[in-house]
Amino acid sequence: MTAGNIVFLFILIVAVGFFSLNVQRLVSYLQIGHPDARTGHPFTRLRNVFEIGIAQKKIFRDPVAGPMHALIFWGFMVLTAGTLEILIAGVYPAFSFEALLPKTIYTVYSASQDMFAVVVLAAVSFALYRRMVLHPRRLDGDDLEHTDALIILSMIAGLMITLLLSNAFMLAAFPQAMGPEKVVSHQLGSAFAHMMDPRTALARYHIFWWAHALLILAFLNYLPYSKHLHVITSLINVYFSNTSGPGVKGAMRSMDLEADVESFGASDVEQLSWKNLLDGYSCTECGRCTAACPANITGKLLSPRKIVINTRQRLMEKAPVMTGDRMDFMRPALSHGVESYEAATSDEVLGHRLLDSYITEEELWACTSCRACVVECPVSIDQLDIINEMRRNLVLTESRFPAELQPVFESLERNGSPWAFSAADRAGWTEGLDIPTMAQMRERGEKPDILFWVGCMGSFDDRAKKITVAFAHILRACGINFAILGQEEACHGDPARRMGNEYLYQILAKNTIETLDRYEVTTIVTHCPHCFHQMGNELPQFGGNYEVIHHSTYIERLLQDARVPLRSAEGQKLTVAYHDSCYLGRYNDVYDAPRQAMKRALPVIELIEAPRTKDRGLCCGAGGGRMFMEENTGKRINAERTEELLATGAAALAVACPFCMTMLTDGVKANGSEVPVYDISEIVAGQLQA
Amino acid sequence: MKIAVCMKRTPDSESRFKIAASSTAIDETGLKFDMDDFAGYAVEAALQLNEKAGGGETVVYAVGPDNVQETLRKAMSMGVDRAVHLKADAVPVDGIAVAKALAAELKTGGYDLILFGKHAFDSSAGVVGTATAELLGLPCITAASQLSVDGGTGSARRELEGAAEILSFPLPAVVTIDEGVARPRYPSLKGIMAAKKKPMETKPAQLGSARVTIQKMELPPERPAGRIIGEGSAAVPELVKLLQNEAKVL
Amino acid sequence: MANVLVFAETRNGEIRKVALEAVTAARKLADATGGGEVHAVLAGPPGIGEKAPLLGTYGADVVLVSESADFARFARESLAATMAERARSGGYRAVVLGFSAQGRDLGPRVAARLDAPIATDVIDLSAAGDTITVKHPAYANKVIMTLAISGSPVVISVRPSAFTAVQAPKAARVDTLVPVAAQGATVTVVDVKEGAKGRPDLGEASIIVSGGRGLKAPENFKLVEALADAFGNAAVGATRAVTDDGWRPHSDQIGQTGRQVSPDLYVALGISGAIQHLAGMRTSRTIVAINKDKEAPIFKVADYGIVGDVIEILPVLTAAVKAAREGH
Ligand code: SF4
Ligand code: SF4
Repeated sequence: MTAGNIVFLFILIVAVGFFSLNVQRLVSYLQIGHPDARTGHPFTRLRNVFEIGIAQKKIFRDPVAGPMHALIFWGFMVLTAGTLEILIAGVYPAFSFEALLPKTIYTVYSASQDMFAVVVLAAVSFALYRRMVLHPRRLDGDDLEHTDALIILSMIAGLMITLLLSNAFMLAAFPQAMGPEKVVSHQLGSAFAHMMDPRTALARYHIFWWAHALLILAFLNYLPYSKHLHVITSLINVYFSNTSGPGVKGAMRSMDLEADVESFGASDVEQLSWKNLLDGYSCTECGRCTAACPANITGKLLSPRKIVINTRQRLMEKAPVMTGDRMDFMRPALSHGVESYEAATSDEVLGHRLLDSYITEEELWACTSCRACVVECPVSIDQLDIINEMRRNLVLTESRFPAELQPVFESLERNGSPWAFSAADRAGWTEGLDIPTMAQMRERGEKPDILFWVGCMGSFDDRAKKITVAFAHILRACGINFAILGQEEACHGDPARRMGNEYLYQILAKNTIETLDRYEVTTIVTHCPHCFHQMGNELPQFGGNYEVIHHSTYIERLLQDARVPLRSAEGQKLTVAYHDSCYLGRYNDVYDAPRQAMKRALPVIELIEAPRTKDRGLCCGAGGGRMFMEENTGKRINAERTEELLATGAAALAVACPFCMTMLTDGVKANGSEVPVYDISEIVAGQLQA
Repeated sequence: MKIAVCMKRTPDSESRFKIAASSTAIDETGLKFDMDDFAGYAVEAALQLNEKAGGGETVVYAVGPDNVQETLRKAMSMGVDRAVHLKADAVPVDGIAVAKALAAELKTGGYDLILFGKHAFDSSAGVVGTATAELLGLPCITAASQLSVDGGTGSARRELEGAAEILSFPLPAVVTIDEGVARPRYPSLKGIMAAKKKPMETKPAQLGSARVTIQKMELPPERPAGRIIGEGSAAVPELVKLLQNEAKVL
Repeated sequence: MANVLVFAETRNGEIRKVALEAVTAARKLADATGGGEVHAVLAGPPGIGEKAPLLGTYGADVVLVSESADFARFARESLAATMAERARSGGYRAVVLGFSAQGRDLGPRVAARLDAPIATDVIDLSAAGDTITVKHPAYANKVIMTLAISGSPVVISVRPSAFTAVQAPKAARVDTLVPVAAQGATVTVVDVKEGAKGRPDLGEASIIVSGGRGLKAPENFKLVEALADAFGNAAVGATRAVTDDGWRPHSDQIGQTGRQVSPDLYVALGISGAIQHLAGMRTSRTIVAINKDKEAPIFKVADYGIVGDVIEILPVLTAAVKAAREGH
């Protein structure tokens, strides 16, 4: 061991020690969040890590930044091995993987180090160019701070350059020091060999070796102070995330309403789960979520990225005070963007909170719960979960919500429907159709095979009632033995839950289960995606387990089995643009059934896709209780979506959700267009034999 | 301020009503009962007055069987401090009989203000509040659409047909509340939990003798089915004629 | 045989229509209880006595004129005391009032003072033996109650327009009734704001004229306003689509997210009748709809519908309504 080695060992210990203190601190901050079990289903979690993390599945959704980032990421993975070798060799110079690995493997490893250094350098240069010259829109907004990114990118570039140069100077001095597999370094090395004598080259080697090694340690210690903390946390975050499973996608978590607590939902960071807080560490501020957010696109205040960043900022503000952080003198700068709060005394800090001080009510109520942000996020952050928890706080603890929602809550409570319509009118649409209710069937001693759950829209909205009738016709024509609940149907509470009123929701959900169990219902079909999602995915939280099928899937199955008596399709080709419902698509991955059903029933149909389609489809604007709220800021979401659909030039629009139906019909009207909007069941029912 | 609010529990106004077999009551099966709408405005008005005054006590009263306790609890979940349940098998349709029970109870309460809804949805009579005021010998505003209190003096607005009175009155007083005054708040879960621990006193209602009784209840004749009377402006004369002679709204 | 005392309501020195209807109702009650006399209390500012003959025209046998400067405005306590005092001393079988803003207040006061049973908002009445029977719409007009009232006297207030005032000319005797002053603390009328300055509130208007996207442009709301003027004191409402577009202020919105109304007459102009809108106006007593699409859901709830272009029909309707009201 030389003196240099000893100095390096010392530096290494200090650097790693400082880094681990920071890690400990960050972990202690997470612990102020409430517990949330995230360890089950390790195999699903590992698969997510592999697909989303390592294979960068979501990153590739962006055709430009995707490959660029993937190359940097993979490069990092590969180069980390080399880095380890370098750090060990810095202390114990004789160390090399060569002695540990079979020759071929070592050769491949060695070549990869050389190659990836160049690849990463190229990708990083492009990233710098993109940020500084191209200025992609999604990287702006939300008061983002940009120097941090530039520092990080420059550091990475520096790491690659010093790596290549140290190797090259070594080879200039001793051409035999490394195998021929290090093609780039050899090229550079022989170039340098022409320019200087071996002694100078060796001296230069030492300079760049030290520069490289010190840069590694600097980089490591800079990370906890940077938004690029995601370099460390993203894979961990993907592992613990539930956004792509395990568990039911998009299902809101159940709350214990009997808990003796001062506050329900979250108004500050300690009322969020540790996972929500980890999300904060992991956000790369890439803006993919915000760029896909219908509220943000149409000019509302909401930005899901800001929600996550604010969570992190607030954590950084409050956690040191709560944990009595001993390292407070070097506070992570992750709170950047809220300078005004940075110098606050601890009393002031405790006077702030996430709600109001950082995130306003207006932002929270703008969310349509469309899940676009969640699907887009490359590191599996759950922005919506934070929004939902905060809405719960607004409603359950503070009783603060848009005034329009009060009649909705009251109607749900009194009439079992978000609209003040009497339950006695629920089955009004059956007039002249002779559709049996569960009660009637029971009286006759019969039991239907399926329950047709009509839903509140399908029962009360005039346009949606036509969908109900169309679907009933199809069921009839196929000889399905079905019944409805009629007067006994009442909202399962999903709208209340989405609007943060978990208390009302649980009452309604339990009532629903009680009714369904009383009739021993096992299979339910419905044409409302919200009912479909709620009953199939969330009622099990309260012991309601049923097979729930959306009518698009049900019709598609009937068609597949050739059970639907269809007329022979004649007529001209009809171009149709289908609009994906969020609760069908992003919540339940049903994309093909509605499309297939239309094509099967009416083969002359030609489907055209809007630019934003399937899991990237834009919300109609009705979800998350937005149906019941005013939309006063910016452009209307339904107008934005309808324009996009109409721009395809389709002769008709198709939906598979009564809420989308209302929003698009309004959008078409506002547009002055005459293009009809159909539910897929209406298209199929139109093809039934007379 | 010490404010009392007297309320009634009534079925939801959107319900479809059926007459019970006795034909002197409605069929209550399937009906949802809740705090009467106007009583809700009164509770909210009371809470806001005390919030503005920065203190005081708000107490709710209801006459009726045990199920009114649920409604009293709801008021407490909105922020009312305590409740008094005046127990009776049923609420008589005779408003004076009810007013006597309330007056007997409120007489010694020491209230600065006693609020009522302007009427209850079910009986739609609007007697109890004003009659209680008379029995207590207090000034009374019937159906106030605005209400404020400053020191010992109240101000109110009251709608007349096509005009409005601006009124002033000394406290203590009775005010029955019309729609415009305040929209009732939605109780938070926190409020619901807190209400479970608030005091509820139960005592028998000292109702006066009932001299008004329900002899019969019936549903009004079905509204004739809507009809399209014509197309374009040619149909206007017919429409105006119908509005005058059939609907009698002109 | 017992007499019936009527409160003949006045405002601004004029006898109100509801007073004449109350006289008619009282006449009917007097006949049903054995053919007694109808005595009408005409309370108002000095000079109101001149109007006494009008009450005779509608069947009052005696007009009791009570003049007081206080009665220029609604001096509730003093009026209640005067009425109660007279009812007590005159040994009447019943006191009849209109269920108007004044009668709504006065009825319970008089009943409490007399310790008499009261029935309010009555649309029909009859008597048999010692019992007076009345019909009273309850549950927001969804149920009609028949109430039996025992004891004497009884207080009854009648719903405006439920009894049509019929002339039964009599040379009414005119008497003076000394006003009884209020005792104790009273309500002071600071001011009376006469309407017509601006429109009535949506919640209080008995007629609402409302416009939707079928009006095509914000300017066309002028036509809606004109119709509201033609109706007299009508309020103007709008659908959510229209208020969202900023054609009308948000406070005008009728529907689930706006105001929920149930006026006597609701005129829906160019409104298709989305669920959100229906939830706010469905309970109106009479609904008129004008819309170009005859399939529009609004026609399902409307009592009277006209299919056609609302812009073209509106001026015609406005003129016709104006003519009809002036012809009255
Ligand atoms: S769920 Fe949809 S609306 Fe809500 S924040 Fe995410 S993208 Fe925006
Ligand atoms: S939350 Fe996810 S998608 Fe949004 S900015 Fe952060 S990392 Fe990007």
